[in-house]
Parts: sequence; C-alpha cells; structure tokens
Amino acid sequence: MIHFERTKLANGLTVIVHQDKTTPMVALDVCYNVGSRDEHPDRTGFAHLFEHLMFGGSKHIPSYDEPLQKAGGDNNAFTSNDLTNYYLTLPKNNIETGFWLESDRMLELAFSESSLEVQRNVVIEEFKQRYLNQPYGDVWPLLRQLAYKVHPYQWPTIGREISHIEQATMQQVKDFFFAHYAPDNAVLVVTGDVQTDQILKLAERWFGPVPNRNVKLRNIQQEPEQTEIREQTVVRDVPNDTIYMAYHMAERLAPEYYATDLISDVLSNGNSSRMYQTLVQKEKIFTELDAYLSGDYEPGLFIVSGKPSNGISLETARKAIEAELDRMKQERVSEYELEKVKNKMEANIEYGEMNYLTKAMNLATNEILQDAGLINSQVDFYRSVTAAQIQEVSQQLFRSENCSVLNYIAKK
Amino acid sequence: MLNRSIQPPVYPIEHIDMVQAQKRLLSNGIPVYFVNAGSQDVVKIDFIFEAGTWFQSGNLVASLCNSMLEEGSRNFSAADIAERFDFYGAYIQLMADQNYGYVNIVSLGKHLPAILEATEDMLKNAVFPEHELGVLIDKNKQKWLLENEKVRTLCQKKFTQVMFGDEHPYCINNKLEDFDLINPNVLMQFYRSFYHSGNCRIIAAGRIDESVLNLLEVHFGGTDWQRNSLDAPQYDICSDLQKFHHVEKANGMQSAIRVGKMWVPKSHPDYIPLSILITILGGYFGSRLMANIREEKGYTYGIGSFVLSLKHYSYLVISTEVGNEYVEPTLKEIGIEMKRLQTELISDNELETVKSYLLGEFLRDFDGPFALAGSFKAINDFGLDYTFYDRYLHSLRNITSAELIQLAQQYLNPDDFYTVVAGSKN
Repeated sequence: MIHFERTKLANGLTVIVHQDKTTPMVALDVCYNVGSRDEHPDRTGFAHLFEHLMFGGSKHIPSYDEPLQKAGGDNNAFTSNDLTNYYLTLPKNNIETGFWLESDRMLELAFSESSLEVQRNVVIEEFKQRYLNQPYGDVWPLLRQLAYKVHPYQWPTIGREISHIEQATMQQVKDFFFAHYAPDNAVLVVTGDVQTDQILKLAERWFGPVPNRNVKLRNIQQEPEQTEIREQTVVRDVPNDTIYMAYHMAERLAPEYYATDLISDVLSNGNSSRMYQTLVQKEKIFTELDAYLSGDYEPGLFIVSGKPSNGISLETARKAIEAELDRMKQERVSEYELEKVKNKMEANIEYGEMNYLTKAMNLATNEILQDAGLINSQVDFYRSVTAAQIQEVSQQLFRSENCSVLNYIAKK
Repeated sequence: MLNRSIQPPVYPIEHIDMVQAQKRLLSNGIPVYFVNAGSQDVVKIDFIFEAGTWFQSGNLVASLCNSMLEEGSRNFSAADIAERFDFYGAYIQLMADQNYGYVNIVSLGKHLPAILEATEDMLKNAVFPEHELGVLIDKNKQKWLLENEKVRTLCQKKFTQVMFGDEHPYCINNKLEDFDLINPNVLMQFYRSFYHSGNCRIIAAGRIDESVLNLLEVHFGGTDWQRNSLDAPQYDICSDLQKFHHVEKANGMQSAIRVGKMWVPKSHPDYIPLSILITILGGYFGSRLMANIREEKGYTYGIGSFVLSLKHYSYLVISTEVGNEYVEPTLKEIGIEMKRLQTELISDNELETVKSYLLGEFLRDFDGPFALAGSFKAINDFGLDYTFYDRYLHSLRNITSAELIQLAQQYLNPDDFYTVVAGSKN
C-alpha cells in the first residue's frame, strides 16, 4: 500500500506527494499527458524530438543539466505513445533546485535554433542506432502499420520516417509546446522523506505562476474493428526467420485488461510457462517464444513472437502457436496455474515498491491514465480474475480475423 | 518577487549513511556478507563462485555451465525448478563473467525456504541433462548469430583481442564452432572443479534477519559440497603492436568505435582521482565528450568513457556509435578532448559541477539494500575494504585542477590508445 496525498493547484497542476523515510534522496517526476498518439501523421516523431529539446534550456535557465548536477542531481526522460515523462532525483536538501528547473521549462522553453538543429541530428542518430542499424530493428514499425489503419498507434515514438524529423521547424516546436505543455496537462509527483505542506509550498511558489493553457481534450479517431486476418512477409538481412502475431486487445482501463495480462503470463512468463515448456523445451519448435502486451493506454496489441528452431518452417511455427492459443480458448486454466501467475504479479508489485523513484513514476503514469490510486488496487484486480474470465477473454482475443501476422524472413 | 534566473541555494552533502555489510561465516567456512536494510520483505542473495572464463578449458564452458544450473539437478528437473521459482514469484539470475560465476536469487522473504531448497540442489547436484543442453545450445547459437550482426559486438570483440591477445581469457573471441565442442561431460567437469563450498562467497541484502542466516547455514553450511580448489591458471597479456584496427561490416549505417588503453587497478593510489578525471571526460551527461560530440555536433545518440575493472586487469574505454560519415570527425574530437585535459586547467565551475554530481551518485550508491550490497561487492571483489570509500570521498572533496592536469598528462596520451572501428568503410 502506497500512501499519498493529492492536491490540485489553481492553474490545474495536480501535485502528488508520497513520503518514504528510508531514503536520503527525493524523486521529482513531471509527467505530461502528450505522446506520439497526439502527433500529426505527417509530422511523426515530434513528441520524442520534443523530449530532447526540453533539455536545451528554458526561458530563464540556459542549461538544464549543469545546475542539476551542481545540486547532486540526476535525471532522465522517456516518451511513449501515450505520455512524456521527465524525472529527476536529488539529495533531499536540494529539492528546490528540482522545482526551479521543472517549473521554468513548463513555463517556457528557450526555443533556440541551434538546439533544434543539434537535437534533430541526435535523434536521427538515435533512429539509426535503435531501428535502422539493428537486426530486426524495423519489426515494431512494420507491425504497428499492419495492425492499425486509422489510429496514431500505427507509428512508433521515434517517428515514421527520418524526413519528418529533418523537416521539423521552430514554429512547429512552439505550437507543440503551447498546445501540450501546461500545468493543466501535467502531474507533479514528489517522493522521498518530505512533508506534504513543504512540497505544496514549493509547488505553489514555483509552479503556481505558470499559466493555465486550456489544453484541449484529445479527439483521436478510434481504430475500426479488424474483420479479416492481415499478413505481411518481408525479407531482411538477419540471421533467423521470426514470426510475429499481433491481436487487438482491450484498453488499459477495461475490465478485461487484467485477464489479458495474465493470459500472456500463463503463456510465456518464466520458464514454467506453457509455451516455453511445450514449444521450446519439449517439442523444440522454437528457440525463443514470447507473449506480451504492447502496454498502451488505448486499445493495444497482444503480441506473440517466436524464432523457430533450425529447419522449422514459419508455417509449422505458426500452427504450433495457434494450437497453444486454441487451448486457451477450449480449456480453462487450472487453479494452480492461475494462482502461480497471480503470485508472480503480486511479488512484482512488491518489488516495485522498494524504490522511491519507481514509486514516483508509477504514481505519475497512473494519474495520467486516470488515478494514481490505481497502483493500490492492482493486486486486488489481478487476484479477482477467474479461470472463466481467462477463457472468455482468450476467445475474444485469439480470433484469426483479429490477427496481424508478420513473417520476417532471413535473406539466404 | 520570484527570481527564476537564480538557482535556489544548494547545500553540500555533509552526512552519508554508509551502512556496511556485516560478515558471518557458515560452519564450512563460506563467508556470508549481509546488509539488513529496506522496508519491503524482499531478499536478494548472490552466490558467487570463482568460476569465470578465466578458469575454463575452452570457449563458452564457463557461461554454459552456469546457464545449465537451472536445467536440472538430482531432485529437481528443469521444469520443477522453473515451477518452484515462478510459483513463488521469485527470480533466478545466472551469469558468468571473466572471473566469476553467479547464481543470484530475489525472493519475498516469506518464500525463501522453498526457494533455497531448490537452489541448494542446483548448487550441489546439477546433472546437465542432454536434452536441455541441446535446447540451450540452439538458443545460444541463434543469439550468437544475432549479436555478431551488431557493429558494437564486433567492435568490442576486436577491442579485447587487440588489448589482451587471442589466448587471454579477457579476450572475447568465441566462435560459432565452439558450441560443437560442448557436451555434458565438459560442463560437469567444470562444475565439479569450481562450484563448491570452498570456492563460494555469499552476499545477501534486504530483510536479512537471523532466520535468513539460519536458512543459509542449513542449506549451504555443510561439508557435503566441499572439494579441493584448483590453482588459478596464470596468463600473460599480449597486446597488439598496431594501434588502429578496422572491422568491416558491410551495409551498416553506423559504425561502432572503441578507443582505450590498459588502466591502473582499483588498489592503485591514482585510481580514485583518475575516476574523477574520466567522469569529466565522458562519465556523465555533462561530460566533455557528450557536450562536444552529442550536444554540440550531433554526431551520436550517446558517447561515454568508463573504466572496466576486472580482477587482474583494468582498462579504460571510450565507446560510441556514430553515422559512418562521422567516424573521422568523432575520432578527431576524442583526440582533441584528451589533449585539452592535458593542456588546459579545468575551470573551478566545471570541477565543482562534477564533484557535486559524483557526490550525488555516491549517495545513490549507498541508498537501499541492493545498492548497498552492490557497493560492498565493488570493493570485496578486489580485496578492498570500506576505507576505499573514505579515500574516495576525501579525494572527491579535495582534488584540484592542478592534480587533474598532471594525471591527464600522465595517463591520457593519445598515442597510447588503441582505436577500433567496426562498420562499413563506404
């Protein structure tokens, strides 16, 4: 159980405080409700490029990193389809430096041309390092494009193509900032050995003057239901064939989400899982086989990916996966199996509560999703899933007309 | 009126609560180092054996022997072991590096008895079943093929070869054919020689009370897994005479770069001040290399310098991946940055920044049970004690630009460095 207090400032900024007396550090997490789903289809990769620009100086502070380092701080950030999260840690005495830095860049960026030019380049090199110059690096973009025809989840956070990043202009940067970076579109979380009234005072002082920007509710066109199986085959210079199967699944807040998550655990979490025991160990059809969720807030993807053993065709591999998925639809999982994946989930939640920064990030991202308090009801939600629900959700999920298949073939 | 142009006051870090690991011996002499800290009922126990590649008779033996420990023992099949860990939400991490083989477990305290029962059988009675070994080898062959497609892997392999020579265990030179020489007997022999109580130490962190220590005694304190230790073999390093090497990898967009040289060991008096110098060069986000090559030129997503301290040798390496067209300019700038450290005094402002940053890092390294155990291991591996950290703090608080420029002149001569580039020349 994580106790926290939540307050909303007059400008709309939500402030959440959690006291953890075991650490000499504090974490300060500012999470903005903007991700790559908010991008224009012709200007993809913008939310992530923007994350880079947030370190290029703000209105009153030319360098973000140096004063933070002077206070013994460290920081990082990430962008997802759904949100952009900035977090820093500091020795607790120096917490005010964190408020100073984060509030100034929420107020306004420096919008420096040189920073834009350099960060465009850095992001292009990141694009190459992570996607273009990596074996299997284009799998995720291909799979998204296959599964989504309408929804912005069809492109990855790095962007659809390099040219979108190359062409980003300062005016677009400014527009993006004022449309999305605002107290009324953000959450501030502080964890550590702190008092709520002390944090609220600091929040009022530094963030209070940042104007409300009347951020509009997003209006994203939802993906229509898929009605027939989609299949794509590509040939690449990689060592092994690989198969990817993606099924549309429920949104993060849907009641079926928890059963869906446990289905992926039954199938492939740990060496005792079904697919590992049957298809990797016993039948040796795959050397690697995983089932996992894309982790999106809006309706996302349930993905099965596998590397067949030498001499096994992708067709055989796919049939073997389908047989396992069919079993999920035909038979109920045993009570023991269900208990096992629930235990594991509960233990993972407990491990996650060991660290003040992890807690800050979980509180922040859950508040953007809906409510920071969700983190305290996770265990109960998972615990209440029944074998019948697992079967029902499997039946909804694993229909061939709900599936996109990517055959990734190794060039011989 | 709020003045946003001025940083709020920064307070120096005065007090650091360096919780030290305590030591207890099991009846058979295994040292248990433990840190009792943290608010959650979580326990991490590392079993560390002198069983790294240093001791192996052929490539891959140390790592595959280690990986096979969860693939079956006398009383637990591979499936039983997996079932046991998964059911209790516990994790096992198996890993072998140049010097050590690790069996690390993380568990909720309440499930530790069930987890240690399985762990005991793995450590004492592993059986290396043929079928499971076949599966593991197939998996690792595919991984090998994938890794060897990456320029960073090709670069690192060549770099260790250039630095240590082909015959040295610190040279990573495994080949696909090496897998064909592995069989259960080879692994069993390695296991019998190096996984036993006389070759083991334990580091435990989290909620470690008497009952946990008692469990360790019950499962691992007996003489039933005592064997004679073999003498560690000795190896000479044989560095390449040529300083620049290129590994061709056709069709890539980026090249991986390693620039490095042999370094002083952790016990050397210059090690600590040098670690501050290397942080300034490339050890944090505001470092010289990052500021110049990423933040000013935009040649790369990231560049860093770090010291890899191994038991017998240490080396310094600068590592990055850049667009092929930026290889030459990047190498040039790396040289310029080393030269600058040798010729220009570091400003008070920059020195102040890096000192504060490193103090913050230091605080993080002693925050929480797992970090505390990590900081202990970082000295214990080298036979050092906590006075290392006292000296570190002293050096961090007192080092001057004059000392650093002298160190740079002694240790950062561009001519001493090896350069390896892996990528496409065109």
